[in-house]
This record gives sequence, structure tokens and C-alpha cells, in this order.
Amino acid sequence: MPQPLSSREANLFRTVIRNYEDKQYKRGLKAAEQILKKNPRHADTMSMKALIMNAQGKTEEAFSLAKEALTIDMKSHICWHVYGILYRTNKNFDEAIKAYKFALKLEPESQQIQRDLAILQIQMRDYQGYVQSRDVMLKARPHLRQNWTALAIAYHLEGNLQQAENILTTYEKTVTSAPLKTDFENSEAILYKNSIIAETGDTARALEHLETDAKNCLDRLAVMELRAQYLTQLGRKDEAAKAYRALLERNPDRQDYYKSLTEVLGIRGDDEQGLGAVYAEYAAKFPRCDAARRLPLDFLTGDAFWSAAKAYLTFMLDKGVPSTFANLKHLYADSSKKVILPALAEEYLAAKEKAEANADSSKGVGAALYFLGQHYSYHMSRDLAKATEFVARAIELDPKNVDFRMTKARIFKHQGELEKASLAMDEARSLDVKDRYINSKAAKYQLRNNENEKALATMGLFTRAETVGGPLADLMDMQCMWFLTEDGEAYQRRGNYGMALKRYHTVANIFDIWQEDQFDFHSFSLRKGQIRAYISMVRWEDQLREHPFFSRAALDAVKLYLAMDDKPHGTNGVNGADGKGENGEDAAERKKAVKKAKKEAQKAEREAAEKAAKQDPNKAGAQKAKEAEDTKKKDDDPNGLRLAATQDPLGDAMKFLNPLLQFSPLNVEAQVVGFEVFMRRKKYLLALRCLRSAAAANKDDARVQEQAKRLREATQPLLGSMNPKLKKALETGLAAVMGR
Amino acid sequence: MDIRLLRPSDIPLIQHANIENLPENYFLKYYLYHALSWPQLSYVAVDASRPKKSAYDYPKIVGYVLAKMEEEPADGVQHGHITSISVMRTHRKLGIAEKLMRQSQLAMVETFGAHYVSLHVRVSNQAAIHLYRETLGFQTEKTEQKYYADGEDAFCMKLELSAIREQIREAAARDEPAGEGIDAKKASEEVSDVDGKSGAKEEPAKKEVKVKVGRGLGVGELVERVASKN
Repeated sequence: MPQPLSSREANLFRTVIRNYEDKQYKRGLKAAEQILKKNPRHADTMSMKALIMNAQGKTEEAFSLAKEALTIDMKSHICWHVYGILYRTNKNFDEAIKAYKFALKLEPESQQIQRDLAILQIQMRDYQGYVQSRDVMLKARPHLRQNWTALAIAYHLEGNLQQAENILTTYEKTVTSAPLKTDFENSEAILYKNSIIAETGDTARALEHLETDAKNCLDRLAVMELRAQYLTQLGRKDEAAKAYRALLERNPDRQDYYKSLTEVLGIRGDDEQGLGAVYAEYAAKFPRCDAARRLPLDFLTGDAFWSAAKAYLTFMLDKGVPSTFANLKHLYADSSKKVILPALAEEYLAAKEKAEANADSSKGVGAALYFLGQHYSYHMSRDLAKATEFVARAIELDPKNVDFRMTKARIFKHQGELEKASLAMDEARSLDVKDRYINSKAAKYQLRNNENEKALATMGLFTRAETVGGPLADLMDMQCMWFLTEDGEAYQRRGNYGMALKRYHTVANIFDIWQEDQFDFHSFSLRKGQIRAYISMVRWEDQLREHPFFSRAALDAVKLYLAMDDKPHGTNGVNGADGKGENGEDAAERKKAVKKAKKEAQKAEREAAEKAAKQDPNKAGAQKAKEAEDTKKKDDDPNGLRLAATQDPLGDAMKFLNPLLQFSPLNVEAQVVGFEVFMRRKKYLLALRCLRSAAAANKDDARVQEQAKRLREATQPLLGSMNPKLKKALETGLAAVMGR
Repeated sequence: MDIRLLRPSDIPLIQHANIENLPENYFLKYYLYHALSWPQLSYVAVDASRPKKSAYDYPKIVGYVLAKMEEEPADGVQHGHITSISVMRTHRKLGIAEKLMRQSQLAMVETFGAHYVSLHVRVSNQAAIHLYRETLGFQTEKTEQKYYADGEDAFCMKLELSAIREQIREAAARDEPAGEGIDAKKASEEVSDVDGKSGAKEEPAKKEVKVKVGRGLGVGELVERVASKN
């Protein structure tokens, strides 16, 4: 029960709350102290004080104070609510849910607690809990459409499509006057309902609903696309064809529309003429359309391919389109096309060079040389000597051309000449210093050549100058995944495990941020009314870590931890020496580097402390800057020394391995490294599971049999004393993999 | 090259394309804010012919337009705004930026009743200015001093969308055959209704569900968190 306060102090208590909400933390604390002076054990005030301290970044003190308040007054909903908020702001959502549930039990009428709890539940994908919360919220305020939509979302995500639709229909029935056609929320709600009907598999009903209720929805593209899709599914081919034609009128550069159109027209995949006619129609109608001209190259063969490819190539090379090769190289999977395309380019080149007089031809010549240079540099048609020759000719023709120089650098890279590649790309960069694309490429090539410092300086030419912490801080703020990953890999090659781990952990942390990013949208999207987009975000977030950005850095990290476990390093915990010494950085040099890094870190810390001390906390600007600094958590291990000093590399690897195996089970690399980790941790059943998944994903991978043998050898001596169930699982599992 | 609507799952690679190409960058939540506020307006160009590298390959984004509606238009007129647009250097000269823009503009009018679309461009960015002015028909409204973080000025450009509005009105009239005359009339009224006023706000007789926008919504601080000064 809340302890009673005198009216003066009750007023003060309200002031504390107001100050907290207005972010006037100093005043809030002062008022709280005044109350506590007279009532030192007033739990609600203690909780509010903890809340303010938490907002000021004093997390630990805040938690201990909030806990103390709770022990004094277990029956105060304020204490539990604050406890929940503390957990929430520190991203421990499970504990936050527990605290909120206690708070709600004590104060069932509180809409704020209920709303906060609901958001936590959906964030944690507690669908049942979310349904329950949204049901209560709807009953409390049924006049708000949002509350109906929210309950429908809850049922929808839970998998109860019928209930979801019912809720939306029930709301529709309560509306007496027809909503305006420009009522955006209504338009989206109808389309949302349509998507639910479609998900039930009742396409006929979905189409009917679309053609009646959703007919005038404001998202025209969605209505048109859904209609075409439903008509196709229902076999109403003539109408479907018309619908796809309408879509192509809107956007003739959408590949799927052509595919669907030719399908509903009943044109067989090998009917080159029939297919070609459809594309030709749109190519004639839309002179600027690329898809209608390029896509036929996918299915045409023989002479038809030859003449179509010639026309396309001539058109693109005349225009000097640099992406011509990139747009055609997928055709190399067909061995005859792989021969025809470069032949056509050579033919084009010869003809153009003959007609040298024409002023316009130099563009075409350059483009053709560039095409051939890329052709011979591409892995399926590689001849690096020839590639070098063509690119040299192109450069001779147009020495300032960035694209040509870029390809020259790429050829060096393919030759394994990383230093030359790095220099060549930097030369390309210097030809167009205002273009960030070429700047990024130059930095990437520097990283491939293990020039971390230089690469960061290159990146620094485009990062925001005013970001505290310099280019690296900006790149982390802006979540520049490729740089962080490549930077880590370069450090790893240099034997600087600390920095490498640092980068991989940063990538993983950014994924945590991306997962948290959805938090605010659980309420925001309800107000915006864009429910379909919200659902699509929720489903994407559920698979977030299957992204190659994650798996690449995670695989790097797990492999590094495995290496660290194989060759444990000295007590200084730095730069696990790989012993091979092939990268030219010997141990003494590394030690020196570490010492220097340590010193620098200490210096940075000292300077930061001094800077903070100099700031006048009462000045608005300073306060703001300080807050910004507070939110930007101080990094007490900027060089990853502590990460590299771990005594349990395999345990640390789990932070990366678990999501890898959960979200990318078909990734053979993930299963292979998973096996290695579990073998070393003597978790044989888990190792077996990785082995079986690897075998299922790619049974021809040579590593699978090798690993199976190792697992059998490792477990053989243990079989006698093993739990019979475990023994059987191992034996049958191994037999399945090795019997193949 | 496939031109299609943005999906939330595209965002990491859109962000990648942005930071690869441009000095004005944003964290992922800002992209989400666009994708969840105006999902109809942002488009991507995808390298659709690229063979899949793994079971978890995401479509490679070679160009994108990130667009929004102005939430509190100073002039009271509904209009769209281009937050960011870029095309990878390797995929230029294919008209991708123009195609992306046209799709976005169409949706701005259809879905949100936009009257015009605005954007900012660096005064030194000749290629982009050429595209906006010559190919797309934008006009320079004014110069904004020191708009960019590095102190460079920006041109404020603007394109009236009346041609698209006209096109939609005609299509609406065409789609409703004579037998459904009342509907056709209604449809064209709807368009002209948006024409006269900004949105449905001045229709007192009908039920109005006002959607609160922007500030105070938790995502509010994202509004206008662009590369402009401060």
C-alpha cells in the first residue's frame, strides 16, 4: 500500500513525477530528497528517485535503490512499475514483463501499465499475452479503431486468422456513416483485412472482398497487384492477363509482371517466339524500358539469341552504359552464350575502330573495351592477361575514366596483387574525389591489403566531421556493416585478435539495436494505420539474423574463437599469436602495439573525464552534450583487449554460434564451425546435429565425412559408459551420415 | 534491373547502398520510419539477374528512392519529399533514378493526394541537378545556405504533380463505364475534393479519424533527422 504523505509532500511527489517527465532531473532529485528527509522510507519516492537516476545513466545505483524500495513496500504498484521501467530501459524485457504484471495486479485499472506491458509482450512475441492485453484495452476503450485493429493484429500474429477477421468485421459493423474515400486509416484497414482473408487460403472470397470493399482503396498498386494475383490463382486467365497488362503499363521494368503475364497467357517456357512477341510489344511501346529488351536474352537460344544479344549489346555500348556486363554475366551459365557475348563485343569493337572518323564512336569503343576487360576478369571466363590488355587500352583511350581504373584494380586483386590493387583503386578514387562510391571501394581495397589505418582515413573523407569520436564513431553510428566486418577481417589477418573481435562484436551489437528498433513501432504503426507494412516488418525482424551481414561476421568470430582455443595465448591476453609469423608482425612488435594502445585508451579516458568535469551542468548546451555523451555509452575496451583475453573462447563463441545455427541452418559453413565448437566442448549430440544438418545441406562437402570420422573416434571409448539412449542416437546418427 | 516497391527486408542493403554512395547517412530506424509511415512511396532497383549465393541471399539493391510525405507542410499543401535517392556507380546511365522517381510520384498522388514533390540537392552535384531539372522537370525554388553538415548550400527543388493528378482523374472517369455514372462522378469528385482542400479534414459531416503524426510518438525524434545543419 502506498504510504500516506502530508499534503505538502504529496504535492512535492507530484512535482517529482512532473520533473521526471519534463526531463528536469536535477530538480526532480531535489524534490525527492525533500520528501525523503521527512519520510526516509517512503518507497514510492525512493522508486521515483531511482527512475531519475536511471535516466541519468546511473543504472546500478538505480536498480539497488528500486530494489530497496520494493522490499519496503511490496504492495506499491509504483514501485513495481518503476522496477519494470528500469528493466525495460536496460533491455531486459523478460524481467520487465514480470514486474509490469505485478504492477498491473496491484493497479488493474492503469491504462499506462497495461499499454507498456502490451508493447513488451509483442516485442517478446508473447502472442497469448498480447491477445489478453489488447482484449482488456479494447474493452476499456472500444470507441478507438486502433484498439480493434490492435486486437486483430494480436490474433493474426498468434495464427488465429478467423478471430482476427472477426474483430475487424465487428468494428466495421459499428460504423454507421460511410468513411471518406480519402480516409487513409480506413483504406489501409480494409486492405489489411483483405490480406488476412487471403492468408486463410480462401482466394475466391479474398477477390470478392477486394473487388467490393477494397475497390477504392488508396493504395492503387496493392489493389492491382492483389487482384492480378488472385485472378491467377483462381485460374481466371483472361482477366489475369488484363490485370498484368495494366500493371506493366504502370511499371514496365518489373520482371515478375512479364513472367506472370506469359504464364497466364499460356505461353510455354520453351516457346521462344511466343514469349519474344510479348516482350517485343513492350519494348516497342516503352523505348526507355530495359527489362523488355534484356529479359528475352534469358530464354532465347541459337540464332534468335545471337541477333537479340547483338541488338542489345549495340544499343548499350553505343550509349556507353557501364553496367552492361554486370547485367549480362548471369547468362554465362549457358556455355554457348558465354562464347557468343564476347564474340559480339569483339565484332562491335572491330567495326567501331574501323569507323574511327566518327566522333561519336569513342564512347562505344571505350564501352566495348571495358566490357571485354570485365569479361576476362570474371571468374567464369577468366584470362587476366587479356583482361589487363583490354583495360589498358580503355585507359589509354580515356585516362580519366574512373570505371576503367576500378576494373584495373579489380584485376590486380584477382591476381593476388593486393598492394597494387589497393594503389590502383586509390588512383581511381583520386580521379573523382567527390564520389563516395569510388571512395568506399578504395577503402575496401585498402582493407583487403590489411591497411586498417589508411582505410579509416579514406572513409574519413566522407564521414560527418562533427561526430564525436571521429570517422570510426560515425561509421558505427551509421551502422556501416561492410566496413566493420572488413576492418575486423583485416585485423584478424594481421593477428590483432582484439581489434578483430571488437569489430565482430560491434556488428552483433548493431543487430541487437536493429531488433530493438521495432519497439517504438508497435504503438507508432497503430497510430499511422499502415498495418500491412507493420506486419511485414514484424515477420522480417523474426528472421533478422539470417542476413548475410550477420552470418559473415558471426562465422569470422566463431572461427577466430576456435583458433584462440586451439592455440591459447599468453597471460597478457592480446593478439593471439598464430605462431606462423607469415604476416610479418612478430610478437615483440605486437606487444609494443598493445602497450601503446593501452596507453592511448588511458589517455582518452583521462581526457574524457576532464572534459566532463569542465562542463557547467547548469548550462543548457552543456547538459545536452552531456546527455548525448551519456547515451553514447563509454567504451571501456576500445581495442578489444579484454575480448582477446578471454579464458573461455568457446563459451564466448556461443553468442555468435547460437543465432547462426538458429537462423541460418542451411548454411554449411555454420554447421561445420558449429561441429568444431561442440566437439571441443564435448557436446557430442549437438556436434552430431550440426554434422547431420551439414550433410543434409550439402552431402558432397568433403568436411562432412572427415568430421564424422572424428566424432566416431572421439565417442568410441565413451560408448561403454554412455546412457543407452545417447549411445543409440550417436550410433544411428553417425551411420546415417557415413552410410551415404 | 527490377524496379519494385521497398520491403522492410530490403532495408539493410538500402542502408548499404546509401552509405556506399552518399555522404548523408541514416541509421536503420530512420529507414523503418519511412517504410512504416509511407510504405507506398519508397522504391528500389534490384539486380535481379544476379545468381543466388546461398539460401539466405537478399536481393542486391543497386538503387533506391526513400520518400515521405511532409507531415506538417508549412504552406498547408499536401506534398511529398525525397529524403534520399541514389544509384550505384556501376549501374548508372540506365535511367534507374528516373524510373524510381516516377513510381514514387505516382503513389504520392494516388495514395496521399500530393500536389507537388520537393527535394534538396547539393549545389555542386551537377549530375543530379541535371536529372531533376532536365529529365524530371523539377524547378529550383530557392537556395538554402549551408544546408549540409559540411557547410555546402542546397538547392530546394520542386515539381508540380498536376500532370499525374490529371492522368488519374481521366483514368478514373474512363474506368467507370456509363452505366455506373454516379460512381464515376463520385470518383472524380473525390479527386477534386482533395484538390480544393488538403485532405479530408474539412468534412465535418462525416466520421473523421484523425491520425496523429510525428512528434511524441516515440519515433518522433526521427522526424527531419536529416543531414541538415545541427
